[in-house]
Amino acid sequence: MAFFDRSNTIAGPGFNRWLVPPAALCIHLCIGEAYAFSVFTKPMAQAIGITAPTPGADWTVPELGWIFSLAILVLGLSAAFGGKWVERAGPRKAMFVAALCFSSGLILAGIGVNSHLLWLVYLGYGVVGGCGLGIGYISPVSTLIKWFPDRPGLATGTAIMGFGGGAMIGAPLSVLLMKHFANASGTGVAQTMFVLGILYFIWMVAGSLIVRIPQDGWKPAGYVAPVASQAMITSRNVVLERALRTPQFYLLWLVLCLNVTAGIGVIGQASLMIQDIFGVTAVAAAGFVGLISLFNMGGRIFWASLSDFIGRKRTYAIFFIAGAVLYAFVPTWGHLHAVALFVISFLLIISMYGGGFATIPAYLRDLYGTVNVGAIHGALLTAWSVAGIAGPVLINYIREYEINHGIAKADAYSVTMYVMAALLMVGLLCDLAVRPVDERYYLEAQTVT
Amino acid sequence: MDQPEERMRPQDRNATMLVLAWLWVGLPLAWGVAVTIDNATKLFQ
Repeated sequence: MAFFDRSNTIAGPGFNRWLVPPAALCIHLCIGEAYAFSVFTKPMAQAIGITAPTPGADWTVPELGWIFSLAILVLGLSAAFGGKWVERAGPRKAMFVAALCFSSGLILAGIGVNSHLLWLVYLGYGVVGGCGLGIGYISPVSTLIKWFPDRPGLATGTAIMGFGGGAMIGAPLSVLLMKHFANASGTGVAQTMFVLGILYFIWMVAGSLIVRIPQDGWKPAGYVAPVASQAMITSRNVVLERALRTPQFYLLWLVLCLNVTAGIGVIGQASLMIQDIFGVTAVAAAGFVGLISLFNMGGRIFWASLSDFIGRKRTYAIFFIAGAVLYAFVPTWGHLHAVALFVISFLLIISMYGGGFATIPAYLRDLYGTVNVGAIHGALLTAWSVAGIAGPVLINYIREYEINHGIAKADAYSVTMYVMAALLMVGLLCDLAVRPVDERYYLEAQTVT
Repeated sequence: MDQPEERMRPQDRNATMLVLAWLWVGLPLAWGVAVTIDNATKLFQ
């Protein structure tokens, strides 16, 4: 196991740092499959009935929604609390552990689907797979920051973009595999999960073999560290313990949580939602999931780059105002059967969802400086966990409630859209309330090491 | 005995690794993007 040790991953002379982004992409493009999980929802909801759900025997959509929520909950918790271990163990070991967890989670979930044991699917994909998601999410990010001090945005953007784009591979691949394995006695979900587990393991391990960490004190040729000088961006530092005592931390926690809540519910149920509202085929719905992934990925680079010019606070204000307006119009697009406007609205919402993830580390760096920004960011990711439950729960349970009260499937999402718009307006208030951190929380210059 | 002339230099090995690594992630991603665009056209039919 020494091969996986941190000491054995230090790059030798002449190592090309541009090998590290594909290593990071190996991990993030795989774990980003979580965003394609909605393609499993419909076939899993008719695992016994095969062609249609069997009431009382088949799993319900809200029950299945918990799989994605649990995975995101565990992702946030393992990312928040696993950061120190990842730093200690090094990226190769962390990536390998992530590969083991994520792949075995998929295989366990496949066994759970095959034996119709929902708790095993929760344990497999939600808990074990969720640990793989969390460890995998943070493992290449810190390594990339070390390799690209001159381009940290580009470096982390590449990895985080991969997480956003994973569904573009995962969704069509899953549909293809399910189609191949489906027969008169099964929907092919279990076999698809087995194959995905094996493929993703091979792909992720390749990333762990490629990755290297730079030697201590390594800098790119000609690189000179910049000195922060802008009035609204502090050049001083706040440590994690003090940051947790500032109101700004909790305001930003709410900002991230509300922005993510509004997007994650859609991502988890995108395939089902567009099939319910517009009656499109599963293949076309997978196309919608893929487009969501494309905009989720592109939004991360676009909005984070824009925030460098217009500021983080204004960027989030755009997310919340534009997001609320778009959500408020979604039911109208459904009534008018305007598929294109529906799709465009959600693609914009999802781009801002991705942008929220990419912009929050910069917002934290602006307020708290760079010394503890990793740890503060990790603590803030618990907002993702909460949103991972709140978003899908809102969508699923309101949909189920509406359908049980005689509302047509196509109209069952309207209330949820208005709730999302209201949540985004609360997020706007939180964002507007963010002010620079009080002087007393900053470290004295001489204590910074 | 002479060393074989065709043995790869470190720079060439690095360049090959770089191309292979980007192909390893780029090809599946390109396939995903192509299928996504193809499926997206069906969405609007």
